Amino acid sequence: MTASPAAMGQDVEMKSADPVPVSALSQLKGVVTAIEKGVSTKEMRLMARANRLLLLVRRQLTVSVVNAFLKHALPAGSDALARLLPFAAAVEKSEKDMEVDTPPAAGQSHVSQKQSVLPEVEIFCYLLVTIFLIDQKQLEEAKTCSSAAVKRLQQLNRRTLDVLAARVYYYYSYSHELTDSLADIRGTLLALHQTATLRHDELGQETLLNLLLRNYLHYNLYDHAEKLRSKTQRSDSHSNQQLCRYLYYLGKIRTIQLEYTDAKECLLQAARKAPASARGFRIQCTKWAVIVRLLLGEIPERTTFMQPGMRKALRPYFELTNAVRIGDLELFRSVAEKNSSVFTADKSHNLIVRLRHNVIRTGLRNISIAYSRISLADVASKLHLDSATPVDDAESIVTKAIRDGGIDANVDHSKGWMQSKETGDIYSTQEPQQAFHSRIAFCLNTHNEAVKALRFPPDAHKKELESAEKRRERQQQEQELAKHIAEEDDDEF
Amino acid sequence: MTVVSTATGLLAMLQEDHPTLKLHALKNLNVLVDNFWPEISTNISAIESLYEDEAFHERHLAALVASKVFYYLGELNDSLTYALGAGPLFDVSEDTEYVQTLVAKCVDEYILLSVKAAEANEAEKTVLDPRLVAIVERMLDKCMQDGKFQQAVGIALECRRLDKLEEAISRSENAPAMLSYCLRLSQTFVSRREFRHEVLRLLVKSYQALQQPDYLSICQCLMFLDEPAGVAAILDRLLRGDKNEALLAYQVAFDLFENEYQKFLLNVRDLLPEPAVSSAALNVTNGGLSQVGRNENGISAMTDGGPTAMDSDLTEPLLARHAAEEAADVSAASSAGQAEERTPHAERLTKLKGILSGETPISLTLQFLYSHNRSDLLILKTIKQSVEMRNSVCHSATIYSNALMHAGTTVDTFLRENLDWLKRATNWAKFSATAGLGVIHRGHHQQGRSLMAPYLPQNGGTGGGSPYSEGGALYALGLIHANHGEGIKQFLLESLRNTSNEVIQHGACLGLGLAALGTADEEIYEDVKNVLYTDSAVAGEAAGIAMGLLMVGTASDKAAEMLAYAHDTQHEKIIRGLALGIALVVYGREEEADTLIEQMTRDQDPILRYGGMYALAMAYRGTANNSAIRRLLHFAVSDVSDDVRRTAVLALGFVLCSEPEQTPRIVSLLSESYNAHVRYGAAMAVGISCAGSGSSEAISLLEPLTADAVDFVRQGALIAMAMVLLQTTEAREPRVASFRRQLEKIINDKHEETMSKMGAILAQGILDAGGRNVAIMLQSRTGHDRVTAVVGMAVFSQFWYWYPLIYFISLSFAPTAFIGLNEELRMPKFDFVSETKPSMFGYPPSVAPPAATSAVKVPTAVLSTSNRAKVRGAKRDAEAKAGKGAVSEGGATGSSTKAEASHASGDGTGDGEKESSSGAKDENAMDVEGGAEKKAAVVEASSEVLSNPARVVPAQEKFIKFREDSRYAPLKLKRAPSGFVMLRDMTPSEPVELVSTDTPVSGGAGGAAAPAAANPSAAAMAVDDNEPPPPEPFEYVP
Repeated sequence: MTASPAAMGQDVEMKSADPVPVSALSQLKGVVTAIEKGVSTKEMRLMARANRLLLLVRRQLTVSVVNAFLKHALPAGSDALARLLPFAAAVEKSEKDMEVDTPPAAGQSHVSQKQSVLPEVEIFCYLLVTIFLIDQKQLEEAKTCSSAAVKRLQQLNRRTLDVLAARVYYYYSYSHELTDSLADIRGTLLALHQTATLRHDELGQETLLNLLLRNYLHYNLYDHAEKLRSKTQRSDSHSNQQLCRYLYYLGKIRTIQLEYTDAKECLLQAARKAPASARGFRIQCTKWAVIVRLLLGEIPERTTFMQPGMRKALRPYFELTNAVRIGDLELFRSVAEKNSSVFTADKSHNLIVRLRHNVIRTGLRNISIAYSRISLADVASKLHLDSATPVDDAESIVTKAIRDGGIDANVDHSKGWMQSKETGDIYSTQEPQQAFHSRIAFCLNTHNEAVKALRFPPDAHKKELESAEKRRERQQQEQELAKHIAEEDDDEF
Repeated sequence: MTVVSTATGLLAMLQEDHPTLKLHALKNLNVLVDNFWPEISTNISAIESLYEDEAFHERHLAALVASKVFYYLGELNDSLTYALGAGPLFDVSEDTEYVQTLVAKCVDEYILLSVKAAEANEAEKTVLDPRLVAIVERMLDKCMQDGKFQQAVGIALECRRLDKLEEAISRSENAPAMLSYCLRLSQTFVSRREFRHEVLRLLVKSYQALQQPDYLSICQCLMFLDEPAGVAAILDRLLRGDKNEALLAYQVAFDLFENEYQKFLLNVRDLLPEPAVSSAALNVTNGGLSQVGRNENGISAMTDGGPTAMDSDLTEPLLARHAAEEAADVSAASSAGQAEERTPHAERLTKLKGILSGETPISLTLQFLYSHNRSDLLILKTIKQSVEMRNSVCHSATIYSNALMHAGTTVDTFLRENLDWLKRATNWAKFSATAGLGVIHRGHHQQGRSLMAPYLPQNGGTGGGSPYSEGGALYALGLIHANHGEGIKQFLLESLRNTSNEVIQHGACLGLGLAALGTADEEIYEDVKNVLYTDSAVAGEAAGIAMGLLMVGTASDKAAEMLAYAHDTQHEKIIRGLALGIALVVYGREEEADTLIEQMTRDQDPILRYGGMYALAMAYRGTANNSAIRRLLHFAVSDVSDDVRRTAVLALGFVLCSEPEQTPRIVSLLSESYNAHVRYGAAMAVGISCAGSGSSEAISLLEPLTADAVDFVRQGALIAMAMVLLQTTEAREPRVASFRRQLEKIINDKHEETMSKMGAILAQGILDAGGRNVAIMLQSRTGHDRVTAVVGMAVFSQFWYWYPLIYFISLSFAPTAFIGLNEELRMPKFDFVSETKPSMFGYPPSVAPPAATSAVKVPTAVLSTSNRAKVRGAKRDAEAKAGKGAVSEGGATGSSTKAEASHASGDGTGDGEKESSSGAKDENAMDVEGGAEKKAAVVEASSEVLSNPARVVPAQEKFIKFREDSRYAPLKLKRAPSGFVMLRDMTPSEPVELVSTDTPVSGGAGGAAAPAAANPSAAAMAVDDNEPPPPEPFEYVP
């Protein structure tokens, strides 16, 4: 390659790349101003906004932008700059390999004049680089970068950092998860969690607890996860996202521990609270919720599987549900086999195995509704019980179902049949009342939470105070009115 | 690397029988606990039982593991117990979060226990865990080894470990710094009085052990401890030393004086040995006044020149008489002094006693306030004109306002000019009008009595005067001699005995209370008590307050006596007076007063509960004590009586006056209360504690209240705002200007309610108080509370019920002056620099006279014969008056009396030239100031030169710099450059050039005949009778 085309290329590159990076860069600068303002006013809201803004800029990040920004935000010759620039350079190199040229001099001219920099800004830079590296699939680099960030964080103790720190922890864990080395950082996360607890960094506490739970669950260490969860003190939640995650993990743990009712509540709440944009998370939640509801003997509505954007992902579960609904063991078995790869990936295979029992019970219930009396041998054949002693099996299954309250029936052992009881009028029981109550409670709860989440600008009420003149005017008017009325009264007589 | 994924195996091993297995498990668990504590915590009971198993020889390890697990579980108390059980295995020096947290917990625990132990009775004292003590001591030692002595001192103070405190101080390299740190802590941080005293005693001991003891601090400590003997001994020793030590002794005395602790000062004075020659006293203490004759002549000449011929007729004879008397005094004394041989020590001793008794500082202050008076009479004039004559409340408010504006300046021009107007004051208004003179002449000890003579009750008969003016005069005498009433006590006492008129008794009681403030004089107390027992509402109220004033801070059993009478009597006024009196008795006693406070706050009578609030305020003044604040807040929201609630909030201002930045935050919610009384209290609380701070939060809080819907809330807010903005310039806080405009608007507004109008008028008075040279200071520069000021403020806040008590606020005024003194206790000429823009801390600009009424302008200019500020303002307005302005200016600067004679209009221009070239040249303070003002129009100078004595506002102190090459240097550089500062003369051989001083004259007497003037001619006659002609002007040769 000769010199002139390269120069040309650079020129062209610069021209074409100009509009986007400049806006991204200015946006990033805006973020830094927001952070500085947030630190000076100790306003957590602004720090959270900085986080959100970062996500907006994320897609527009390029090496040149990151480079320029780093040089703008960090003082020349600072430790952080020296540590962060090579990461960007590494990306640059790999991009060059892919024949993507970048202006090497970008940002060189305006090296920041600032002598010292806020730790918040420094951490923000780490965060930016980590995210950038992850986006560029430089996972190993991202791992090193985020580890460096965490190390730096451990030296600092500032409450204004909490919001950013939580993000850093998340990407720290995420980069390790992507490289499948989660087990290595468990100790660090535990230590960080303890530090956060001691420093009353509640957001950090929440985030780290979730990361730890995720860490344990990744290795199917449900027992550990549950022990940790039950032993840590939890305060009121500060972040909706973290609460969603927590509920999701809790739901998973509860499911494994056979506490289906709790699990269902947790999972449904997590799915509901999750923002609409978090599709993947909501799909996962729905999958687990479906299984748990099936395990509880409920049949999820068809609409659950028809939600926009989820239909395809939920297809195996839809089939599964169908099998359970019909109570057809054969169908169930074939569905489970067909989709076993999906279930294994979702780590729900062991639960599917548990479902078999439910399929039988649903079938049994269908039978008990359809027949007021049926012989156990027929039951066995209808359920496709293909063991050596189907009738005995059927007998034990039926008795167990009766004891569990799954069906309302009697077994006549001597005659070998099952006698169903008449189903009473459900509206004469407290059932509808309870259903209403649970719905009302849910609505009230939602309302209360919404009210709690409202923010009022401080001292807004003071603006409404009337001034002295206005008050006097008002009083005068009132007096005149009173006089007027009094006169009118007089006139009448 | 083998990654252990579970601790279950190890936990199971704990159940084994063999101790080796258990030990192995424990050892491994100890390592793994950081990662597996959730698992281990399920088996914590097994580890606990291992620790409790006496037979198990590694119990310590079990304890350590248990401790760590509990730590992770957040059970720090349990964790600490086990960590202590772990003994040597718990390594304090380890740098982990676990150890750090536990050590912090350990120290907290120890502090808690030791405080509990210290406060418990001897009988129920618990023995502290020796292991806990060991750890804390180890930490303290480590602190000291690392050179972190401040931390060590802090912890030692919190743990109440005096031995460790002493060790920390003695081991630090910079003991003096550590001691002053410790002193500050003991004032702000130690909340228990007894323990604070112990600390102070230790500090005194440590201070004395230093090679160069810091006598200023020692004496401060001794004063807190109330040990006059120690101070006397130190002062005596210093006086026997060389010149510098004598200077130091004076400085100590001045500092002690600033705290206004009369009884203590008198004790110190009495404990000092008698000087060998007593006749020298007069000469020396009057040293500053020795030029009196000349100056007064100057002033009288100026008065002559002014067109107020009528007034000068009245005053001139009086002036002259005093001038003559003074001159005679001085010459007699000096001749006596010269005749007798005096030892230097005796001379010094007399000087020192002059300081301690207050004579010297008060006369210096008086001189300062008089000579620097820059009050703006136009403001008063505007008020007078805009207030309706028939509205007596506003009328007397104007009189109050005048008194406050001229507090301590001895300038009563306004009253003299408006005799007819003044005559409208009748009955109690007359009482307060007369008493107002006392505020104006505050500190005018020598002539106070003769000033008030026309109004005082005549011996042997009721005389012609009305009892109101007689009572007012007695009150005025008390105000003049407030806190320094040795000379006047007897006279007041006799006046009290000689009368049975309740109005005169009222005045006499208040006067006595003020004059004998805090002396606990039994004789006076008995007489006042007799008045109380007459059960007259008017006299009894004053008697109640007077008893409190007498007994301030003694916490004697008199309080119980007063409480008993308060229960007996039917008169609400008496009960209220007594309630306040009782509150004053427990002044500064903190916990000691709790029983009494409890008794009062639980009383059925709301007035006594109201007194209880004041008692809380007084007992815990300036301590920011949490329990007091809590109690006050509780009453502020829960009491059924509005008065009690109002007072409870107001009392917060006193408790928090040492931490003014806290008050707005604490009362911000209360200031939005639906209850108007609570809002009023909140406003006043902010006003009291943030007085003079100009704090922007305070202003933001008060601003909406000044436009409140309820009139009295507006009143309180306006007064409070004036207190906050006192001496704050527009350059520092732009809202000053808008506030002044608001005041003007309220005063001029015909529809405004009387209450808020009165508030606005008073606010004007406070805003321009004392010729703008005073600030409200409830605490002295050393951080100690000024008894008189706090008491004055407390009684002032009673004006809600009784307007004459407004004058008590003058007690809390302190001059914002820098007065440098040489060893002769005279003011040498001396300059220093204030490194900030002059407008930052200058006087407010004088009000421009309304352009339309040119007739008004002439008297305005005339008024300024004694007021240079006005002259300058006038000069700017009309060039024609330039000559006159120059005359008065020359007279004031008084560089020589010759100049006065030769003054012509030409000199005025010369003056102008000088001004323009000034800034660098240190001609004279006023000249330079004038120059700076002129420059301000173009480009404001970044610094200004001040000359001794100068106005230095508290906020300005940090900008004051002394010149390197100056002849005089302050004795103590670290001390704040304000108040009385002893100067060291670097070149003692050169002749001393002294600042010539304007001494206030007793011009008031004649003019002030007005309020009494039912028969002004009679008063004038009395003046005419015995006046010798004034002496001829003469030249003064120093």
